[in-house]
Amino acid sequence: MYEFQYHRPNSLEDAAKLFDAAGDPQYLAGGQTLIPVMKQRLAMPSDLIDIGRIGDLHGITADKNALTIGAMTTHAQVASCDKVRESIPALASLANHIGDPAVRNRGTLGGSIANNDPAADYPAALVALGASVQTTSREIAAEAFFTGLFETALEEGEMIVKVTFPVTDCAGYEKFPNPASRYATVGVFVARTKERVRVAVTGAGLSVFRAGDIEAALETDFSPDALDGISISADGLNSDLHASAEYRANLIIVLARRAAAKANAA
Amino acid sequence: MEKYGIGQPVRRKEDVRFLTGKGVYIDDISRPNLVHAVILRSPHAHAKILKIDSSEAQTMPGVLAIVTGQDWEREDFAPIPTRSAVKTKISGAPLNQPPRHCLAIERARYVGEPVALIVAESSAQAQDAAESIEVDYEELEPVTDQVKALEPGAPQIWDDIEGNICLDFELGDKQATDKAFAAADHVVSLELRNNRVTAVPIETRGAIAEYDAASDSYLLHNATQNVHANRATFADVLKISPDKLHHVAPDVGGGFGAKNSGYPEPPLLLYAAKKLGRPVKWIADRNESFQGDTHGRDQASKVELALDSEGKFLALRTSTIGNLGAYCFTMGPFTPTAGSARTQGGPYDIPAMFYSAIAAFTNTMPLDPYRGAGRPEASFQIERVVELAARELGIDPVELRARNLMRADTLPRKTPMGLDVDTGDFPQLFERTLKMSDREGYAKRVQESRARGLRRGFAIAPYLECSGGMPKEFAGVTFASDGTITLSVGSQSTGMGHETSLPQILGARLGVDMDKIAYVQGDTDATPLGGGHGGSRGLEMGGSAVMTAANDIIAKARHIAAHMLNSTPDDISFANGAFTDVKTDQNIAMEDVIAASFEQGRLPSDMEPGCLDTGVTYERELITCPNGCHAAEVEVDPETGSINVERYWVVDDFGTIINPLLAEGQVMGGIAQGLGQALMENIVYDEESGQLVTGSLMDYALPRADSMPNMQLAFFEDAPTAKNPLGVKGAGEAGCCGAPPAIVNAVLDALKGDGVTHIEMPLTPEKVWRAIAGGKLSP
Ligand SMILES: Cc1cc2nc3c(=O)[nH]c(=O)nc-3n(C[C@H](O)[C@H](O)[C@H](O)COP(=O)(O)OP(=O)(O)OC[C@H]3O[C@@H](n4cnc5c(N)ncnc54)[C@H](O)[C@@H]3O)c2cc1C
Repeated sequence: MYEFQYHRPNSLEDAAKLFDAAGDPQYLAGGQTLIPVMKQRLAMPSDLIDIGRIGDLHGITADKNALTIGAMTTHAQVASCDKVRESIPALASLANHIGDPAVRNRGTLGGSIANNDPAADYPAALVALGASVQTTSREIAAEAFFTGLFETALEEGEMIVKVTFPVTDCAGYEKFPNPASRYATVGVFVARTKERVRVAVTGAGLSVFRAGDIEAALETDFSPDALDGISISADGLNSDLHASAEYRANLIIVLARRAAAKANAA
Repeated sequence: MEKYGIGQPVRRKEDVRFLTGKGVYIDDISRPNLVHAVILRSPHAHAKILKIDSSEAQTMPGVLAIVTGQDWEREDFAPIPTRSAVKTKISGAPLNQPPRHCLAIERARYVGEPVALIVAESSAQAQDAAESIEVDYEELEPVTDQVKALEPGAPQIWDDIEGNICLDFELGDKQATDKAFAAADHVVSLELRNNRVTAVPIETRGAIAEYDAASDSYLLHNATQNVHANRATFADVLKISPDKLHHVAPDVGGGFGAKNSGYPEPPLLLYAAKKLGRPVKWIADRNESFQGDTHGRDQASKVELALDSEGKFLALRTSTIGNLGAYCFTMGPFTPTAGSARTQGGPYDIPAMFYSAIAAFTNTMPLDPYRGAGRPEASFQIERVVELAARELGIDPVELRARNLMRADTLPRKTPMGLDVDTGDFPQLFERTLKMSDREGYAKRVQESRARGLRRGFAIAPYLECSGGMPKEFAGVTFASDGTITLSVGSQSTGMGHETSLPQILGARLGVDMDKIAYVQGDTDATPLGGGHGGSRGLEMGGSAVMTAANDIIAKARHIAAHMLNSTPDDISFANGAFTDVKTDQNIAMEDVIAASFEQGRLPSDMEPGCLDTGVTYERELITCPNGCHAAEVEVDPETGSINVERYWVVDDFGTIINPLLAEGQVMGGIAQGLGQALMENIVYDEESGQLVTGSLMDYALPRADSMPNMQLAFFEDAPTAKNPLGVKGAGEAGCCGAPPAIVNAVLDALKGDGVTHIEMPLTPEKVWRAIAGGKLSP
């Protein structure tokens, strides 16, 4: 780790002021991504602004149309929150399968989506559920938020405050974990609202994407069997030590079928 | 007293310390005036070091010393010696041992090879300085695969070693084997790899070196498995007398072989400590652990089995190309040669065997013994070829094995590989394992799996392995007048529980409360010699030394008891912690005898206070033969290729069981490492660049609790060995001998309907999926 200045503001305004005044600042949420990267000396922020004490970033609220989760909410809190489990159980279950207990007790929703790791789980949920991201300056639709490999629509200094998920009829998430890291080799989130079906895939591309053919098939018939005979092209999919593009293409279909089965059972 | 007897499941005494964070590992130790070292490592697999410019780094804040290969060469230290038990080629000429210096001089030969040592007031300052050292490399073409390294035109790693060959080796009767093959009805042949893995101990390596100018001597605290052998090694390098180096291993968080070796870092630290006159600490981070801890296995083999028309095994022929990495390291040349040869053929009755091997240098981190060191490789080889033979001959694999196991009434015997198999009952263990595994319910379980879209498979894998490591061990016992007893042993626990099992033996034998016995290990001042940890020798050697010491103490105490009871030693019996005069039936407790041993007035005239203190060296004549039988049931998901090891059974013959709780722990841990090798663990180097691809836990997959099946374990204790006074055979490495073949064969059994006959380890989901999907896919 290189040297840095540590700050812990209590409000969004103070955080913004600190950010503007610093040379090369970074917000620090749960630190589960940022701290390891700093320990490896792959990042050298001049200032770390710990946003953990900012009240506006905490809390989970639900009504019959939407579920809203503060950016600083940990994966463990999402996984165990009754409001989440009642309104979108697939989201609670997703959070419960991120990393290990230590990671879930520190890592946050805001940190995960700000980082936009191509193998992270949450981006699939946000895109499939049609969530919107409330930042310190605007509201961004999930699909516009995740722009590329570790890239988001966030501007310099812009902070995620909360994420709002419209409540769906049913949803299911299926993840094939990387055997080493247990991030998603591929993860498929299937969600159905009224007439629409949305299917988002994480882990397989540079960033989360929607699988149009699968959506169309499931819109006609929302059952796993509807995906028989559909295949996904391996072109442009990730390929690494643990999974080739071709294998990932296979996993997308297999997992979509299983996620649809879960959604049907939900 | 009984609850602490031999055979009792005494809970580990050390666990309270470990589980409450009170263990003292290297990084828990500090010293006044401590400074910190980091190692600059080669980023290239193969490169000339043209120039190292550390002028800027020298001036950076806190920097105290920078040592490069050239500086090291100027000091004229010796290369780190190899201690391989196999020292010669087939021709009798010595093996090729390139000089392994603590820092690369002129050329770096693997990614992670130490290039410079940087010492600073803080670790961060040392890292800052390391980053500003400019090393001018000229990259050379690397070769990382041992088979490619032997090909004509392969990059040459050592200018004066032709063809990258360290040594060749053979064992067995070639003529008899070839003859049996020529006459056989069936020959089954399989090429396979034992994948390269690494230990990933939870505590990475680290050390603190100190130098005392007044006595011109060194103190080294080191996360090692073997203080005595490594003291000799480090003293050789620094050209000092070993008695000038006090080597201590505090609590060590796992070793599995990877902390056994003579590593380059400790001599560098000792040198820096003397140069600076300050204690120097170095702690490896996880990346360094992957790059710079020795790796294991990595053998490419061809295994051939000759059978008659009835499926009787006639001969076995194995040829192996072992990867040594860039150097011989400490015992590297031993593993693919004698280490893998001795237990060829496992527990089967095979009249003729021949094993040959070539050990090759490559541009990779060197290999050294890793849990099992050759025996898991041999076990995998025989079990895979037997499974294939069953498939090819159309015989039930269970039946084929049963037909060929060595029968109990043919023991003792020497195998064609020269292994002395003294006691055991392989057919009985095999039958017990089958019985445990509920074969009657299997067909139903297959149906249930199928209903869930899964393929189920079963395999049974008997194994026979052997102990190893240093053939001598020391145990010392000292008594204090307050009743405490101190037991010092030269074998070493890196987490296995010697602090419990060895006092348990002493306490049980003497009939004293083991809680009164303090245990000391891992200290060159505490025992005059010690073989440390390795080769499943903890109980076999350490325990036998303790037993010998206990017998010594009893013999002396008998004299005191006779004196106290006005009797003669010949009339005194000893049982359950008490000496009894067989004539008068008068008795006296061991504890009273111990108390009396401090008072001259109560002792015979030829004995002195403190006379019970004892130090003995136990020496083995023959290595032991742990054996057993594993069986696994797996489910395979054909859509994803995922494997779930669903059920697991083991019956082990470790001879006498001292503490079943600890023995079971060894088996489970061994199975975890075996399962890891079979299904997920794999060290991968990029063939073109020679970069380490699996350099972190993000890419190197380890089994976790949820990867493990429920294991049903049993011990067979009816055949203790007479090779040592405890009757123990060793338990530490058996798990990784049995697990890979049991699991891999079970998977292949599940896939027999798909026509899959072989998949190389690790059986990753993609490989399994591809094997099933077969021709339907483009390559
Ligand atoms: C061992 C391990 C296993 C893991 N496994 C998984 C897994 O299976 N699936 C998965 O999805 N993830 C996994 N993760 C990642 C985990 O989910 C992290 O918590 C997450 O990626 C980052 O969240 P954080 O709160 O720790 O963010 P931090 O590390 O604190 O920050 C990450 C980045 O986000 C920025 N940031 C944080 N909060 C905000 C905000 N409110 N607004 C703007 N920018 C912000 C920071 O500046 C930083 O750049 C794993 C991590 C570890 C260490």
